[in-house]
Amino acid sequence: MPPEDPEDSDPGLARERTRLAWARTAIAFAAVGAVVLRKELVAGLIVVAMAPTIWWAGRFASRASGPEVRPRRLLLVTAAVTTVALLAILVALLARSPDSLDQLLPRHG
Amino acid sequence: MSPWGAETASAGGGATSDHEHLEAGAPGAETEPDARYTLANERTFLAWNRTALALVVAGLGIVQLLPPFPGVPWGRHVLGVPLIAFGAVVGVAAYGELRRNQTAMRRGQPLPRSLLPRVLAGVITGVAVLAAVVLLVSAVR
Repeated sequence: MPPEDPEDSDPGLARERTRLAWARTAIAFAAVGAVVLRKELVAGLIVVAMAPTIWWAGRFASRASGPEVRPRRLLLVTAAVTTVALLAILVALLARSPDSLDQLLPRHG
Repeated sequence: MSPWGAETASAGGGATSDHEHLEAGAPGAETEPDARYTLANERTFLAWNRTALALVVAGLGIVQLLPPFPGVPWGRHVLGVPLIAFGAVVGVAAYGELRRNQTAMRRGQPLPRSLLPRVLAGVITGVAVLAAVVLLVSAVR
């Protein structure tokens, strides 16, 4: 009789899903970085650089590690998100907002 | 023994180091939950962080990528800056939830109720109402 929950026969699926969640999170950082990059080079580069960092943290977090190691890796994500929000506030308040659509459309192609 | 046994056995240090001496289910006993639950908790945390990033990028897009609302020069900032700030709040709160959930699972208690979904819904509703107000003011002027 097959197990009711597929994970009972292959518990690696949970680990795989978690790895994919880390990958999605890293891609989200890259996407936010691309938006910031349009306005501010340095802030944008900082945010883009977080993507490989999160990717790296995810690879290690997905491995078997003690219960006290995991939260510290996860704290890295919280620190990164908070930093991104701070940079975004600075860019939003200090960088010049567009005056009209004309300033935006040529940059879209 | 499940494949998770190795990980549980490698749990050293902290509050769990003496869990072998405690009877499971005894008051105050803390045992690491099944790794699948720990991983699910981790995925929930990551999903909240992606939500936080979405809030940040939405706020930044409103301020820096939208043309100004005619007659409402402060319109973009009043919509965008709260979204970005709330993104930071969600990121920090998600970590608190992760720790609370993990502690509850270790103790075999029911998961604590989360305020975050309600707060998120409230903030999004508030920003939507604010956007409608800005648009109305802009149309009237």
